[in-house]
Amino acid sequence: MTPSGPFAHLDGERRVIDSSQDSMVRPGQLPPLFQFSQNSLQDYADCRRRFQLRFIEGLRWPAARSEPIEEHEQFVNHGVDFHLLVQRHLLGIPIEKLAPVENPLAEWWDAYLHYPPPDLPTTLRLPEVQLSTPLAGYRLMAKFDLLAIDPGERAVIVDWKTSRKRPPRDQVLNRLQTHVYPYVLAEAGTHLFGRPIAPEQINLIYWFAAAPTDPEILPYSADRHAENRAYLEGLIGEILTIDDEIWPLVEDEFHCRYCEYRSLCDRGVRAGSLDEIDAAEEESDWDFEWDDVEEIAF
Amino acid sequence: MNSHTGEYSGEADPRTMLVEGPFGVGKTSFAIETLFTWLSDGVPPENILVMVPQRTLAYPYWEALRGADYGPLGSVDVRTVNGLAKDMVNIYWPLVAGEAGFAEPERGPHFLTLETAQYAMADFVDRAVENGEFDAINVSPQQIARQIVDNLGKAALMGIDYRQIPDFLTGAWGPDRPRKRVLAYQAAGRVADAYRQYCLKYRLLDYSLQIECFTRLLRLPDFREAFFGARTHLIVDHVEEEDALTHTLIRDWLPHLDAALLVYEQDGGYRVFLGANPEGGQALARDCEGVLTLSESYFTSPGLEALLDEVAYSFNQPGSDPAPEGSDLAFDFAFHSYYPQMIDWVADRIDHLVHDQGIAPKEISVLAPFLSDALRFSLGQKLDQRGIPHVSHRPSRALRDEPAARCVLTLAALAHPEWGERPPQADVAQALQLAIAGLDPVRAALLAKVVYRPGGDEVLTAFDRITPQMQARITYVVGQRYDHLRDWLVTAAAERATALDHFFSRMFGELISQSGYGFHDDPEAGRVVAELVESARKFRQSLYSDQSIDPIEIGRRYFTIVRQGLLAALYVASWRDEHADAVFMAPAYTFLLRNRAVDVQFWLDVGSVGWWERLDQPLTHPYVLSPNWPAGRIWTDSDEVVRQEEMLYKIVSGLIRRCRSHIYLGLSDLGEQGYEQRGPLLRVFQQILRRHPQPVEGLEVSRE
Repeated sequence: MTPSGPFAHLDGERRVIDSSQDSMVRPGQLPPLFQFSQNSLQDYADCRRRFQLRFIEGLRWPAARSEPIEEHEQFVNHGVDFHLLVQRHLLGIPIEKLAPVENPLAEWWDAYLHYPPPDLPTTLRLPEVQLSTPLAGYRLMAKFDLLAIDPGERAVIVDWKTSRKRPPRDQVLNRLQTHVYPYVLAEAGTHLFGRPIAPEQINLIYWFAAAPTDPEILPYSADRHAENRAYLEGLIGEILTIDDEIWPLVEDEFHCRYCEYRSLCDRGVRAGSLDEIDAAEEESDWDFEWDDVEEIAF
Repeated sequence: MNSHTGEYSGEADPRTMLVEGPFGVGKTSFAIETLFTWLSDGVPPENILVMVPQRTLAYPYWEALRGADYGPLGSVDVRTVNGLAKDMVNIYWPLVAGEAGFAEPERGPHFLTLETAQYAMADFVDRAVENGEFDAINVSPQQIARQIVDNLGKAALMGIDYRQIPDFLTGAWGPDRPRKRVLAYQAAGRVADAYRQYCLKYRLLDYSLQIECFTRLLRLPDFREAFFGARTHLIVDHVEEEDALTHTLIRDWLPHLDAALLVYEQDGGYRVFLGANPEGGQALARDCEGVLTLSESYFTSPGLEALLDEVAYSFNQPGSDPAPEGSDLAFDFAFHSYYPQMIDWVADRIDHLVHDQGIAPKEISVLAPFLSDALRFSLGQKLDQRGIPHVSHRPSRALRDEPAARCVLTLAALAHPEWGERPPQADVAQALQLAIAGLDPVRAALLAKVVYRPGGDEVLTAFDRITPQMQARITYVVGQRYDHLRDWLVTAAAERATALDHFFSRMFGELISQSGYGFHDDPEAGRVVAELVESARKFRQSLYSDQSIDPIEIGRRYFTIVRQGLLAALYVASWRDEHADAVFMAPAYTFLLRNRAVDVQFWLDVGSVGWWERLDQPLTHPYVLSPNWPAGRIWTDSDEVVRQEEMLYKIVSGLIRRCRSHIYLGLSDLGEQGYEQRGPLLRVFQQILRRHPQPVEGLEVSRE
């Protein structure tokens, strides 16, 4: 009798994966488990050398990213706490068990309850979802704070931003996140949507705790999708072709003030002030920390 | 059923299946194939969970899932059950905190590592030690704390109240052995109770409380329904390495799932100290609708198959026969009088394999019961001399033993005179040598001698206040760098309210990784200091975020426990190490759980009893604190011998199965510590050599 159902492949020829055979780290190349994300691409866009140090060489360099470190740490912790709070809410934990007492969390929570992102689809609310799609021979992944979907009709990506100031629109538009998120959802969200998603059915909303009534709502389109594909493919292609021993350093040294590798690159001594960093970059810094947290949590 | 693929028994269309077999027969490959079949059949990726007992065993799944050749994809979770439990407790904390007895449940939990848990317990242990409550046992307070933490975890996994542990241990100890041990069990019970109350007060969740809270969550109907409903398809790889609680979870989960595949490795179950319950893993076959047995090894050569037969026969395994006379057993055995000679032999052999036979370094592993710093250093140095890359796995190396960490800690002590710590002059010299580029050990010792004033108003004297002759000897360039370092430390000392991890970060970024300083272009130092920063931050945030204690005092406490060697480096061999083209040096256990085959293995210290003996842990017991041990039954010496023989057979057969080509056995008459070595593993190979004589370098073996 031949088994079928979830084990219908049982009668097939066995393949044995000997993972030690094909997954060797080669100096100067991306590691075997690497996948591109908005963070890594943003690092590349900001400074190629930073990308090389962080992702090709995997170099840990424990200098401060911004000063005062104490405030930076609080900023990161509050961001993590807020995301967790919203996740708990979206997973159905009763609201009376969630009320935070300390600011800024209490203020943000109040803002979230009174001024949530507008006009969200209601059928599916999926917090902390990760999707990925192949691009230029690698995987491009996105981890969404929230996907709100009415299957077959529309899908909204929500990203919670806890930077201290709302960044101007042009800064938001230029972030790699704005390119990566809708692109990945359009390519990899079919199973959640019930059928292929047309780019026009996607919106990306940045919701700002510091300005909850003024979210940035970014509609997506087929033209934008094609542009994004070309742009992201180009970036990855560029990364794969660099064979310099030391990748080019960013010209504008302002970035170096908020980069932990500044001493290695002889680009300064003290970390830049948290007050001078722009909101989008501040958030990007935080997002990177969040990825770290995820990794450590395993 | 295709005979090529194994033997299947069970229902024609199984919903749940257990696949079993030894290492190297394609079980994980089958599991990955199953995973991709499910995805191809349209199972939403978010509905699939892959559970593995430890992170390294997730790599094959990650590699498969991260390949670009598979199309767009959602997130397939590949997790350890501990990671999953911790996440669930973190997210659903508001549902469980009050009921579990935590104070101020509306505030968040703090998760403890093994090290921070030991520290949280340290005061309670110290008090008991001072009262003489542990006089009956000869172990350090740190070891006592570690074993009590371990007992709490085991109680959680057994699903019993932790207060029952002294009774379990007393029952196994029996009435005829010295009563003092029972008093020590009872003292351990009192410490555990005081520590548990402390954890509840400050919402500190060690491993045991994470598991208990997760278990508690699973008893909530809404959570249980949501948890079981969120995943429809489950793969559990290496069920033999999981504990009894996980097996119960799987058993409860199976009826709710659309499909499940459990992977069981025969002869596995190495993580006994972490609660592995191989018998319970195999018993899950009865809960599955089908069982697939795979037996054809894809890795092991005929010569190693013959060696496996010989080993099984030597261990009196049921149904075993010796290899036929004349079999070509794929091992070489070399005898040396002294340990360093054995290390030279290993290095020479590896040199020959790599440079003359073209074997890739990553296809060679060097294994020993323990990987001491001395072994790692001496063999590493010899491989360096031969131009052969190598990596080592050091799971329990203390932070204080890392030179970069010691340097940073010494400088921190100099910048915090209020701690009352006065580092020895030799430590200051070494710290200056590492921190200042261009400063050799001789000048560093001189500099420390003339500038270091422990207990003085100025702990470090300025360079311009030492004699011109001495300045000239040390050089002015170094002097300038030294002065800058000194100024930085003086300024830092004036900024009192700084957390120690922040101090480390600033000192690293602004000073010692700058041009002209020792860590400027030193990735290894960066890694070690990053671990130190992370460790100090976790220490502060998990233990003290709810207590109004001066950061300076928290820093002092952290410094003290690192100096005591309590904190291990968090070092986990990264994927970079795991996948580097380098000879891998590791303890045998670590290699087994890495779950990879290599072409060539070297086994060192074959005569060592370390291959056989359990660690001496008088306050805990991996076999007695297990659901398989009948409460009240006495643990006898013969139980010990039987279990250790079983484990030694598992280790030896597991290592052979993870080898494709050849094994080299190294033995020195005198071990690393200078003692004569005649352990059980040596006796096994002596038996094999009597049946199959072969030339042994340095030793004559007669036929049986």
